[in-house]
Amino acid sequence: MLVVGAGGAGMRAAIEAAAAGARVAVVCKSLLGKAHTVMAEGGIAAALGNLDPEDNWQVHFQDTMRGGQMINNWRMAELHARESPDRVYELETYGAIFDRTPDGRVMQRPFGAHTYRRLCHVGDRTGLEMIRSLQDRIVQLGIEVHMEVTLTKLLKAGDRVVGAFGYNRIDGAFIAFRSKAVIIATGGWGRLYKVTSNSWEGTGDGVAMGFDAGAEVLDPEMVQFHPTGMVWPPGVRGILVTEAVRGEGGYLTNREGKRFMLEVDPKKKELSSRDIVARAIYKEVQAGRGTEHGGAHLDVRHLGAEKIKKKLPSMYEQFLRLADVDITREPMEVAPTIHYAMGGLRVEAETGATTIPGLYAAGEAAAGLHGANRLGGNSLSDLLVFGRRAGAASAAYQRDVGLGTIDERQIADETKLLLLPLIGEGKENPYLLQQELQQAMQDGAGLAREEKSLKTCLDQVLELRQRAARIHVPGTRKYNPGWHTARDLRFMLTIAEAIVRAAIERRESRGAHWRLDYLEKDPALGRVNFIAYNDGGRVKLKTRPVPEMPPELAVLFADAASPPPASQPPAPKPPKPQPVRT
Amino acid sequence: MSTNSPSPIVLQVFRGETDGGREQRFEVPSMEGMVVLDAVHYIQAHFANDLACRWNCKAAKCGSCSAEINGRPRLMCKTRVDEFGDQEIHVGPMRAFPLIKDLVTDVSWNYEVNKEIPGFTAAPDEPVPYRMLPEDTERVYEYRKCIECFLCQDVCHVLRNHDDKSAYYGPRYMVRIAALEMHPLDAQKRTGLLHGKAGIGMCNITKCCQEVCPEHIKITDNAIIPLKERTATEVYDPLARIARKINPFSGAAATTDLPEARQSQSVGPQRFSVKDVVRLKTRGRRMARVGSVLPDGKLEVWVLHMNGKVQHWDGPKVVRVSDVTNNYGPLDDVGIGSKLFEQTLTEHKH
Repeated sequence: MLVVGAGGAGMRAAIEAAAAGARVAVVCKSLLGKAHTVMAEGGIAAALGNLDPEDNWQVHFQDTMRGGQMINNWRMAELHARESPDRVYELETYGAIFDRTPDGRVMQRPFGAHTYRRLCHVGDRTGLEMIRSLQDRIVQLGIEVHMEVTLTKLLKAGDRVVGAFGYNRIDGAFIAFRSKAVIIATGGWGRLYKVTSNSWEGTGDGVAMGFDAGAEVLDPEMVQFHPTGMVWPPGVRGILVTEAVRGEGGYLTNREGKRFMLEVDPKKKELSSRDIVARAIYKEVQAGRGTEHGGAHLDVRHLGAEKIKKKLPSMYEQFLRLADVDITREPMEVAPTIHYAMGGLRVEAETGATTIPGLYAAGEAAAGLHGANRLGGNSLSDLLVFGRRAGAASAAYQRDVGLGTIDERQIADETKLLLLPLIGEGKENPYLLQQELQQAMQDGAGLAREEKSLKTCLDQVLELRQRAARIHVPGTRKYNPGWHTARDLRFMLTIAEAIVRAAIERRESRGAHWRLDYLEKDPALGRVNFIAYNDGGRVKLKTRPVPEMPPELAVLFADAASPPPASQPPAPKPPKPQPVRT
Repeated sequence: MSTNSPSPIVLQVFRGETDGGREQRFEVPSMEGMVVLDAVHYIQAHFANDLACRWNCKAAKCGSCSAEINGRPRLMCKTRVDEFGDQEIHVGPMRAFPLIKDLVTDVSWNYEVNKEIPGFTAAPDEPVPYRMLPEDTERVYEYRKCIECFLCQDVCHVLRNHDDKSAYYGPRYMVRIAALEMHPLDAQKRTGLLHGKAGIGMCNITKCCQEVCPEHIKITDNAIIPLKERTATEVYDPLARIARKINPFSGAAATTDLPEARQSQSVGPQRFSVKDVVRLKTRGRRMARVGSVLPDGKLEVWVLHMNGKVQHWDGPKVVRVSDVTNNYGPLDDVGIGSKLFEQTLTEHKH
């Protein structure tokens, strides 16, 4: 079986599938260990209760659902909250070492919208620790890895996915995999936007491939802005400033030195949920109280140089090196940056199975857990919990099916499409087209949205789709990034269209989706998710009711049908559960 | 990109493939705070769509955009163009690795080396969740900061000038082994590997690697030297020497830190030598020792069968390299090979 993507979710899935006896190949666009997971800084959310014994899975579950504005898949949120502690401990058996409490247990730090101190971390390089541990495990298990291979097409036999096709980036050779099951773990699509914390890889390939093959894309309009990205100089604009800065005590001020989060969310202050903090910064800038380069100041000087260098070493280094700012002496300048796609392929909570037989998804590429807004730290636990589940379920599935037959025609069609930019007559430059798309999405479907700007953006996306067919790239197939970008762009355009269409239809403000023309929540829209699906090559939308919570979980939210994050009533304290082993 | 600065940046970027190449001159508009990778991206978008370079995070966290900038191994995303003033900036690929195209090199050798290092192994009865005290984990964090940019491998003169990648794993993997060896709960020994295949004796402490490390890991001071000490204690302990004398499989182990000895033992990129202990993937995952390495890269092995307490070495059998798992290093009296071997014998005694 085939795992597409070697970030946290893909590697965890591969490990589980291999352990279950499946023969696994992992395919990744970059070198092994470079996936975007390394960029995760703050930590991994798991209700271990090491620092706050009151913490347990029910509280984590409630925080996740409330953060996601109740349009999450409750079952995913439940599994996630129940299983993340075990996944954290398991990661340590692969060789990871989290920061520790004085008595030798895993240390936890506070983070936005988490009720208790919950994020297990390694300084501010938690993602690196996680990816290295998983990578080592992959090597230990002898799992086959195909580095620098991009897959562009899922191969189907009837309804079923039976393999995938793409090219090797090194020499441009085409490559087809025949496999009983395919797991999509290709992450998100931050590259759709101009100001992003994502690497070049975040072009939504896997989800777009799934979409092309007929899978459903859930909640595409939900794109998370991280409140704190770097602002200046221009070359680093968008690079992430970890939430751990605020977790460790950093606070935000506007140009006048006023700590505006005290008013926006007096209870959680800087550690409110990401959508709220991002909007607060945006509003300060709009009101003319922004800093020199259009952001807010983030200050950690009061922590003292020693603590900053110990707890936030890569932030210290990043600002010193790239912005000439010594954060032990000066405040950082920050502004919202595109960070995460809550949307993705619609999957079954327990198994990660998409709506197509043989196709699974996990991690950022899958949707449902985070609803309208993801809490910091929930993505890393998402990768492990649902990576493992998708790996196990697909390994079980592939035991009972045979290898499918590859339809040569599908390969021939895709080959033609891939070769077009090299042999076609077009004149469009793939990089400049990509930049146009990023600008259009930034302006039209960014943090603050309204009908008019969204419709303009949709027109631009559709126009770019036409022009993308006329891309021309010089050179050969050998390691040609221009050629790679040409194909990536098609994926990006598919996803962009889904985002914009859903964003137009969600005529309300909810979580990350902020409509200036519909500032309130609409209870009716709070009961549905939008789904984009492929209708003969066109992006169509439909709605699906949000799955209904069973009474024993619904009771946790009894006091707040639609809880405003800032003024939620105290959560009912459930009894401390027994440790869950699954 | 804005062009508010009067004088453009001049870059000389290496262009070429396996059959050679040369530098090409580009002028890129200057921008405040610009790094070399920004300039390369500008060139890609405007002048050379097919210019090959690796990059991912653009924030010095992934270690993909390694290159040689004015002759010095560095990350392109972390190198500001303004530090060069009016000078031309020469950007070329890492020279210790075979060129693929332009700035992209074939670093796959590193991944192969990594496979030879036995991973983290806790004692089987270690209770989970693990308890580890902060003072015991402190030193490991430094090694685990490594982002695998391979700049240390690029600058290492053993790997670079002598082009002898069969004699030494290189600084990156000394750091990796250090991380494993100093892990408070790791129960595996790697000193045999270190003084054998990993070739720690090849390092003569010039500290070039730690000078180029973008994560400021003190590779030589904090990883290689402590490992050298650990290896020396365990390998050159007088009692161990006596034991080696009576060991039927002892060979050149005691002299392996001499470069001549290492090089005569090395047998090309696959890194198997006579007397290495390996485990077969097939046939019940039996242990075997390498009898010889055939010219086509296959191994002639003798497979261990236990007949009660008596060992039988069946063979020779010819196997492919892909049929064996980790090479545990030479079967001497201190290495991992011998540890595994003893373990197997003990298991059969019960």
